Amino acid sequence: MSLYEIRNMAIEIAGDRLIEEVGLTVEAGQCTAIIGASGSGKSLTCLTPFGLTPGAVSGSMLLDGVDLGSDGSVQIRDVRRRLAGFIFQQPLTALTPHLAVGVQLQEATMQAGAARPSRLELARKLERVGLSRADERLDQFPHRLSGGERQRVMIAAAIAHSPKLLVADEPTSALDASLRSEIMALLDELRAEQGLGLLLVSHDIASIEGHADQLVVMEKGRVVESGAASTVIAGPAEDYTRRLIAAAPRLQDPAPMLSRPGEPLLETRNLGVSFDRSGWRRGKIKALADASIMLHECESLAIVGGSGSGKSTLGRAIAGIGPVTEGEILWEGVTLPERRKRDLAMRRLIQPVFQDPVASLDPHWQVRDIVSEPLHNLRPDLTPAECARMVRKVLSDVDLAEDFLTRVPASLSGGQAQRVAIARAIIASPRLLVLDEATSALDPLVGAEILKLLLRLQGENGLSLLFITHDIAAARRLCHRVAVMEAGQIVETGEMQAVINHPRHPATQKLIAAS
Amino acid sequence: MLALITRRLMTAIPTLLVIILASFFLMRLAPGGPFDGERPLDPETQAALQQAYGLDRPLWEQAWLYVLRLVQGDFGPSLVYRDFTVSELIAQGLPISLTLGGLAIVLALLVGVTAGLFAAVRAGKAADQTIMMGATVATALPTFVTGPALALFFGLWLGLLPVSGTGEGVAWLIMPVVALALPVSGAIAKLTRAGLASVLKQDHIRTARARGLSETKILFKHGLRPALVPVASYLGPAAAGLLTGAVVVETVFGLPGLGRYFVQGALNRDYPLVLGVVTLYAALIILFNLFADLIYGWLDPRMREG
Repeated sequence: MSLYEIRNMAIEIAGDRLIEEVGLTVEAGQCTAIIGASGSGKSLTCLTPFGLTPGAVSGSMLLDGVDLGSDGSVQIRDVRRRLAGFIFQQPLTALTPHLAVGVQLQEATMQAGAARPSRLELARKLERVGLSRADERLDQFPHRLSGGERQRVMIAAAIAHSPKLLVADEPTSALDASLRSEIMALLDELRAEQGLGLLLVSHDIASIEGHADQLVVMEKGRVVESGAASTVIAGPAEDYTRRLIAAAPRLQDPAPMLSRPGEPLLETRNLGVSFDRSGWRRGKIKALADASIMLHECESLAIVGGSGSGKSTLGRAIAGIGPVTEGEILWEGVTLPERRKRDLAMRRLIQPVFQDPVASLDPHWQVRDIVSEPLHNLRPDLTPAECARMVRKVLSDVDLAEDFLTRVPASLSGGQAQRVAIARAIIASPRLLVLDEATSALDPLVGAEILKLLLRLQGENGLSLLFITHDIAAARRLCHRVAVMEAGQIVETGEMQAVINHPRHPATQKLIAAS
Repeated sequence: MLALITRRLMTAIPTLLVIILASFFLMRLAPGGPFDGERPLDPETQAALQQAYGLDRPLWEQAWLYVLRLVQGDFGPSLVYRDFTVSELIAQGLPISLTLGGLAIVLALLVGVTAGLFAAVRAGKAADQTIMMGATVATALPTFVTGPALALFFGLWLGLLPVSGTGEGVAWLIMPVVALALPVSGAIAKLTRAGLASVLKQDHIRTARARGLSETKILFKHGLRPALVPVASYLGPAAAGLLTGAVVVETVFGLPGLGRYFVQGALNRDYPLVLGVVTLYAALIILFNLFADLIYGWLDPRMREG
C-alpha cells in the first residue's frame, strides 16, 4: 500500500471547479513531483487535502491508512500535526518574524506531542539540515538569516516532529541555482534517512530531474500525464509535457541565433558602490567594487551571480536608479552624469524592467496609463493623440491585444504583467534595457516566451540588453557575452559559449555545475 | 537597545530646551500680566511686585535665569497662588493626573485590544460589525459629552458613584477613567482589528497552521504581536494626550489634577506655573515616545535594525 494515495480528487473554490479527476501516489522514502505552468492547480492539489487553502475537496485521499476525506470523521488539523510536514515557496515570509529560530523549531518538534527538546537537540536538528554555528542561530530572528538559511530552518521545522509525508510547495523557486541544487540534495538525503515520502511541487523540470521518482504533469486542473519520472522526461507522451521540458533552458541546448553587435555603446570604468552600515556601527559595506564592463549596440550582456553577489547593484547603478560611489559610466565615450543631472534625452536611453512584474506596476492604474507614463515625462512634445497611438503600437509590439488598455495589474497573469512592464520600458525608444531577473519569477513556459520577445525586440529595434540573472542557462538563450559576479566583484567575463565550455573561476564553475 | 535609550535621552535635552524657550517667549507675547486684577493696582505696588519677581529685567535675562533654576530642579514660585511654589502645586496635581491617565491607558488597551481581536476573528460577521460600529461611536464622542452623561446616569439617577471630588476608596476614579479611556479604546480596537486582518493573511500564519496549532494559539503566539505595531505607534501620542486631555474630565468631575492648574495658570498669566506644566508634559511625551519605540522592537525584531 502506498504511503499517500489520492484518487479521483476534485477541488472547488466558491463554486468554481478548479481541480478535477486528479490521482497520484507517494511511496515511503520516495519523491513524487507535480509539475505544470503557473495556474495549473499544482499547489491547490497538494495543500487543499490538508485544509491549507480555502478550497473544498472531494474524492478519496488516504495518508498512512487515515482517510482525509470530507466525511468529517478525521480532524484535518490532527493529520497536519502528526503525519505531515510542509515547506513553502517564500522562505523570507514563511517564518514568524518576532519569534527566534529556536522557539519556532521547538514548537515544530512538540507539535505531535513530543517532550520538550533540549537546546542541544534543537541545535542538532539545525546541523542536520546543514546550518553552521547552529547553537548561535537558535537565538537569532529569521530576518537575520539569508534566504537559503531560512529555507533550511523551514525544512528542519517541517521534519522536526518526524512526519510520514513532507509536502514541499516550490521549495527552491525563490533560491539561486547553486542553493537550489544544495536544497534538493538535502531533501534526497532526509528522504533516504527517515523513509519520508516527499510530495514536491515545481514549475521547473530541470530542478527535479534526478530527484523525483514519480512525475505528475498538470495542466488547467487536470493530470495530463504521469509515470516514472525518468520515463516521462525521456519520452513525454503529451505535447504539453514536451513543451514544458523544452521551455526549461539547458546548457546542452543548441546555440541560439543572435543578432550581430555594432559599435561600443556603454562602458563602466571601475564602478564602485558602498553603503553606510546601519545603526551606530561605523564603516561601509562594499556592495560593488571595481566593476568594468563594455556593452555594444544590439548586444546582450548577461550579469550572472548568486544572491548577494552585487549584480542588481551594478544594474541599478547603470540604470541610474541606484547610487554610485566610485568610477564612471560612459555612453558612446561620453561620461554620463549622475541621475539627477541627466537631461530628458539621456534618461530616455536606459530603461529598467524588474523581477516581480505585478509588484512593479501601480495597482490602481490601468495598463494604458502605466504604459504611457514615460511619454509624459520624457516626450513632452507629443500630443495626447500621438501618445495614444504609440501606446497601441507598443502593446501590439509585446503581443498584447487592445482590450488590455483598460485592464488593471491585478487582472494580469505574471507573463502579461511582464509584457506590460516591457512595453512601458520600450515606449520612449530607449537604446538599452536593464532587465533585473526579468524572467526569474515566471514559470518556464512564460519565461521562454518573454526571452523570445526580447530577442525579437532586439532584432527589430537594435536594442542592447543587460540581462541580470542567477540562471546562466536562461541567459545563454539571449546573451552574446557574460560577466560572472561574486561578492561584489566581476570575476570572469567572456563570450557566453566560451565561458560555459571553459569556466576558469571557481564561482563560474559552481554556477555551471548547478545549472 | 541601551544605545537607543542613551541616544534618545541625549537628544531629549535640546528638544526640551527649545520647547521651554519657545513657550517662554510665546507666553510673553500674550497681552496682560499676572498682577492685572479687576481693580488695577497702583503703579508703585505694581512696580514693586514686578521687581520682587524679577519681571522688570530684560526678557532674555529672565529666560536665562529660569533655565538656570530649572536645571537645579527649581520651577520657581507661583505668581497667582502666592503661598505655593510651582513644584508644590505640581506635586499636588501630578499624582491625580498620573493615576487617571495611567488607569485610562490600561483600561483602553484591555478593552480595545480585546474588542479588536474579537472583531478580527469574526471578520465580516455581525459581531465584527457591531464592535466596529461601537468603536466608531466611542471615538467620535468627546469627553465633555460622555463625562456629564456618565455622571448623570450613574451618579444622579442610579446613585452608584460619586459625581465629584476624590473622596474615599476608589469609587471616585471609575467614571473619570472610563470617560477618558472610551475614545482611546475605540481607536485601539480599530487599529488592532486592521493590524490582525493584514497579519492573518501573511505566509507565516499558514506555516503555523500547517503545524496543526489551534487557531487560538496561532492568534496569540504568531499573529498578535506584529498586529499591535500600529497600536504602539498610536500609544505614545495617546498617552500624552490622556494626560493633557484630562483637563476636561478633571473639570467635569471636580478633580484637582494638573490639567486644572494648567488652564488656570494660562488664563491668569501665571508664567512659572504654565512653564512648569509645559516642561513636565514635554518630558512625559518624550518619555512615552521612547517607550513606544522600545515596544516596537519587542513587537517586531526587524525594527531593531538601524
